[in-house]
Amino acid sequence: MQSKKLGWLLLSPTLFILGLFGIFPFIYVLWVSFHEWNPFAANPEKLFNWAANYRKLVFDAQFLASLGVTLAFVFFAVVSEVVIGYILAQAFMKDFPGKAFFRTIHTLPLIMAPIIVGSIWKLMTTPSIGIIPHLLKNFGIDLNIGQSAIAAFCITVIMDIWHWTPLVTLSLIAALVSLPADPFEQAQIDGANKRQIFWHITLPMIRPALIATVFIRLMDAMRTVDEVLMLTGGGPGSATRYVGVHIYKEVFPKTNYGYGSAISVIVLYLTIVICWLLYTSLIAPRNKRG
Amino acid sequence: MSDDKEAAKPGFLPIETNWFDRLFISVVIWVALSLFWLRFIEPLGLSVWIAAAISVALGAHIIRKG
Repeated sequence: MQSKKLGWLLLSPTLFILGLFGIFPFIYVLWVSFHEWNPFAANPEKLFNWAANYRKLVFDAQFLASLGVTLAFVFFAVVSEVVIGYILAQAFMKDFPGKAFFRTIHTLPLIMAPIIVGSIWKLMTTPSIGIIPHLLKNFGIDLNIGQSAIAAFCITVIMDIWHWTPLVTLSLIAALVSLPADPFEQAQIDGANKRQIFWHITLPMIRPALIATVFIRLMDAMRTVDEVLMLTGGGPGSATRYVGVHIYKEVFPKTNYGYGSAISVIVLYLTIVICWLLYTSLIAPRNKRG
Repeated sequence: MSDDKEAAKPGFLPIETNWFDRLFISVVIWVALSLFWLRFIEPLGLSVWIAAAISVALGAHIIRKG
């Protein structure tokens, strides 16, 4: 009983901070989402309107379109980051000249604020002055992310990969370094090839770290705002108007707090459901088997 | 899903769950059904409260027997 009390006592600072900065804001947003509230309108009062905001969003073509492009963005970005991150992690497990230098350089994007990343990529992709359109011109490609929806989408995905792959690499390096050597030696003695070793030894052993990294990246990618807002502003048209950008535009320029809160709640719901489905399908069956 | 092995019990759900997991699943179904109802059923004239009633009944069943 004493240790139980001590446990709660030790947990209390974390629970207090979680409650203050996590649970309370969530409950407030949930409450606001059931109101019509525009503090800068003629009537700045909160008006309770039951599910009117949710009724509006299920018919909001712009929101549904933004949800679609967000899911595509998350899929392409996270899959690419995991694949490239794993390849880089395996490369960093081997010795080569300049390894320490390259590892430092490759981690640099990770410490940059997203708004800075957006600015850098905006400079690099601006048709008249950017290096990327300049280089692509040599191959006959005219890159203009202000005009081409596909180009804008691809550049935002590439920017996200550039920004966040180092996180995946570092996580996977940590996982790979901690693996015991015995199973690999045993497999080599038994004549397993590289592909078999990867599928049957490496992947199952780094699975927890890999899944944790995928969850972190998935949740982060679902709420991408600043770098995309800086790079494309959600355009051209609504090609890169991801849900984060959509919420920003509803809440700040339009000051439509109630509707913005409803969208935020639904995006949180979708993020939780996607993570839960992944968790249930990838981790829970393993735990059950023991 | 469940860390609390003592409270975990097998039910009709394909995964091992405790009561909180089943409550979570019920809430997820409630929200999904409500959104579906608002989009497709309510325009036909059926109130979203029917979806809430179905969700509560389904949730109670999942929590008890899931």
